[in-house]
Order: sequence, then C-alpha cells, then structure tokens
Amino acid sequence: MASILDTAAAAGAFNTLLAAVDAAGLRAALEGPGPFTVFAPVDDAFAALPPGTVQTLVDNPPQLARILKYHVLAGAYSREQLVAEPAWTSLEGAPIPIRRSDPFEVKNATVVNADLLCDNGVVHVINRVILPG
Amino acid sequence: MTTSLASERTTAPLIPPSTHPYAEVIHRLEAGGSMLPDTPENLQQIIGIYKAYAVPMDFYWRDLLYIAERVFLNPLPAFKYFLPQEYLDLPNSYAGDQAKLRIWRGGEKAHPELLAFMERGETGRMPRLLHHLWHDRVNMEFAEACMQAMFWHQGMGGRFNDYLESEAYRANADRAIRAYFQGNPLMLGLYRLFPEMFLEQVKRLSYTANLGLFWEVMAPVFFEMSDIYDEGGFQGVPDAMDFLVNGIFAVAGRPIYHHVYVGDTCYEIIPKSAGFTWLYEAALPYVEAVFYRTSPFRGTRSYNAQAHQVPADQADFHYGILYADVFPVGSAGIPPTLLMQDMLHFLPPYLKDLYKQHKRGEEDELIQLGISFQRSMYNVTSAVIQALRGALLYPLDDTDPEHLLANRRFFEAQMDRFLRPEARLSDIQSQDYR
Repeated sequence: MASILDTAAAAGAFNTLLAAVDAAGLRAALEGPGPFTVFAPVDDAFAALPPGTVQTLVDNPPQLARILKYHVLAGAYSREQLVAEPAWTSLEGAPIPIRRSDPFEVKNATVVNADLLCDNGVVHVINRVILPG
Repeated sequence: MTTSLASERTTAPLIPPSTHPYAEVIHRLEAGGSMLPDTPENLQQIIGIYKAYAVPMDFYWRDLLYIAERVFLNPLPAFKYFLPQEYLDLPNSYAGDQAKLRIWRGGEKAHPELLAFMERGETGRMPRLLHHLWHDRVNMEFAEACMQAMFWHQGMGGRFNDYLESEAYRANADRAIRAYFQGNPLMLGLYRLFPEMFLEQVKRLSYTANLGLFWEVMAPVFFEMSDIYDEGGFQGVPDAMDFLVNGIFAVAGRPIYHHVYVGDTCYEIIPKSAGFTWLYEAALPYVEAVFYRTSPFRGTRSYNAQAHQVPADQADFHYGILYADVFPVGSAGIPPTLLMQDMLHFLPPYLKDLYKQHKRGEEDELIQLGISFQRSMYNVTSAVIQALRGALLYPLDDTDPEHLLANRRFFEAQMDRFLRPEARLSDIQSQDYR
C-alpha cells in the first residue's frame, strides 16, 4: 500500500491539496506513521472558492495549515465507524459533524469516494473544502 | 417587490415557503438577495455611505495599528491620535500595486480626501494641535469604542480570546513590557506591583491591533465599491452584497497578529504563526460585538441594570447599529454620533442632494445619513450571513431538499435575532424610513 500523500498524488485529482500541504509545511507530518483519517477535497472543490481565497492562505502557511488540519482526524476511521458518531474532533480542534450516512456527508461536503486505505491511514474524497465554524 | 421576489425564488418547487415572521426577507436571501430590498435608492444610499465611511476608516486602521504597535503602554498617550508620516504612508497589505497580494485598487498611502481633511478640517488650515484641541479631526474615539466592544464582549467565536489567557501570551507580553519600560524604574516597579493591570492593558492593545487589521481590509473594499458604482458597475443591491461576500472569502485567511516595536526591535505578542485568521478572529467577532451587541452607551436614554433594563447575558445585548434608534445628539461620549460626524465630511454629492430632498434637509442630515448607514450595515451583515452559508452550508441552487432545508434553518435562526422590537429590519424594508 502507498502512503496517504502518494495515494493522493497517484489519483491525479488532488493537485491543489498536495500543493497546499507543501505550502503549509505539513508534508512531513502526513508522511509520518499516523494513522490519520484525511477528508481530501478534489481540485474542483478548491477551484469553487471565490478568487483570492486559496492564494491568501498559501501566502500565510500557519493559517493554511489550520484550514488543512480541519480536514484531518487522528486515527484511521472507515465510513462505517465515522457514521456511528455525530461528530469527530479534527486536528485543528473544531468538530467535524457527520451530517448523513447515505449519502455519506461530512459537514457540508459529500464524500464521493470513501475508504481509500493507505499505509498510514484512510482517505475519504470530498467534493467541497470544509471550514471550521 | 413581493411579486418580483416570488419569480426569482429558486427553492419554491423543492421546499415549502417559510412561515417565519420575516419570511419575505428569508425568501429573498434564498434567492441570493440581501436583507435590504433591491431598489436603486437603497443601492445609492449604501454605496454613498460606504464611500463616506471608507475615508475615516483609512485613518482608523492606521491609527489603531500605530497605537497597538508604537504608542503601546505610554502612560500619558496624549498624542496617540497624531499619526506619524510613517503610518500615513503605510501601504495597504491587500490594495494597490505595491501589495504582495493585490486584491483591491488604490491603497499605496492614506487616501487624498483624508489628507485634505486632516490639513483643513471644518475650520481651516492651522497646526495639528489646534485642530485636535478644537476637535476638528477624525473621531478616533469611535474606533476605540468599537475595539472596547470587542474587548469587553470577548469569546464570540474564534480563538483569539483563549490565546490572551495562555502562558505563551503572558510570556510574550512580559518581554514586550520589560523592553518598553527599559530604563524606567518607576514603571517597572509598578509593573512588579500590579502585573495584571499591565497585562490587561496589553490585551486591550491586542484587540486594538485586531481591529486595525480588520479595517485595513474593509477600507479599500468600500473605496472600490464606490468606484465601481461611479463607473456604473453595480446593477443592484445583490451585486454590492456579492462583492462583499467575495471580499470576505478572499482575505478570510489573512493573519491576525499583534506586534510591538520598541525602537527597531519587533516583539511578537501574538505571532502570525499562532494561525489566527481575519475571518474567525476578527471579522466574525467584530460583527457580533459591533453590529449586534455593543453596550448601552449614554445617549438619548439611560438604562438601569438593577431594573433589568440591561440583559444579564451579554449575548442578549442589542445596542449595535442593527438595533439603533439613529438619533445622534451632539453631546460628548456618544460613539455613533462621532461616526456620523466623521462620515458627514466625506458624503458624495449625490447623497447630499438626496438628504436635502427629504425630511428636514440639511438640518437632520446626521440622522438621514445614520439611517443610510444602518441600511448599509444590514447589507454588510447580509454578506456575512451569505458568506457563512456558503462556507458552512450549501449553495443556493442546490437540488437536495435536505440541503435547502438546512439553509432555511440557518437563515431563520439568523432572522430570529431581529424579532426583538428594537431591531430595524422591518423599518429598512420601506424607503420612507429616513
């Protein structure tokens, strides 16, 4: 099996996410043993944000890291485990609510591909960037 | 209005109409509109006021940063409103060609209309000290009252306030305090005796920096909206609101920090690396503290807390511009009056003409512009509500009824805050409210 970041790179639909992980200096952490659960927004999800949003974050790595950490849980959790709880605490500190199990919805994003198993965790592909609050 | 809104509504086939007392406003929000009705006069009023607000705001943010970064704990800050050239020339971080990330036009230096006013004021050319003593100047007291509201209400979302209670903050503040009073045994002695008092003042200054960084963004936004309007670029109130929504997202990730300069040395009391952002740690607490809550300032009526005329719970405070009875009286110590007076100096000609045509003309210009300001802040609040809906919920054209109902619940919860009789939401639905 590949790592979380290798899996994302091979999928080809996470170029913005991977660039953001590098800009935020989170690559080393996400290549560690973890395990992590990553809600990975596709490129279209970042592109849907209003102009300037991503650029301001990329220019400010600590702030970008905070938003990215909101997409990560400590521990590897499958869809089945996730939907059993109403909310999970992200690495950012704010809770991520699980809004629906079918279709599988995490906060205001829909999981378009769940349970991609990796060496150091699980990836769930989401169609929207999620934000704390 | 109702007829055209009904035809705009995209949600009608998927979910039933709202039964909320503000259903009409909610349906308008669901159609991508603002709490403020889309009329040419409303657009004119709010844009004109944004312009009149942006000019003093260009002073507010510069001076707030000056106070937080340089004046700092000066025990006799008599000259804190005397902006040095360095801060008048401070380039805006997000506007103008020099900006590292240019989002808006202009912004290289303080706005020319502001500089002209600082030189002449209402009276004429004279030394700055005389302008100050005659109170012929920008009313920074208003800006500080807004900061005070944020400082006093505290915990309104975001993590800024938690950080002010942390050991890291205490250590950073301690370093800055010792550096600032180096060679001043009297102040260092007082610090040793009353450390909490000094720390409290530094916290206040951290909120001062917070508000300065918040308004640094808003001033060029409002200037550009005025320019776009003058060029014929906005077709209606929703366009103006959308411009604000995009602006909120564009700078949502801007760092909020507090740096202090002692000589050439920078002390990072709140470093950028703490990860605080414009949206969570500045904009949302600002809107909550200033638009909704503020405090029962001494104005045209007094309040008796013992008689329960002031809510016991700070979250129920409702003295902000969205609830205000806009009746500026000229006496001292009334922050909204100070803002109205600041804006009066920079009204565009079309608003001056408008006010002359209504009510008592120039005699009650302050009240009329205050109500325009109220309309314009309902539009800014609409932008915040739409931005939050976009960030935390679902697109307006979503086709899943569950998602649309979630949006509906959110909009209704926001409108619940305007059910109390003091709210002016129903007033601004009519053009006759002036």
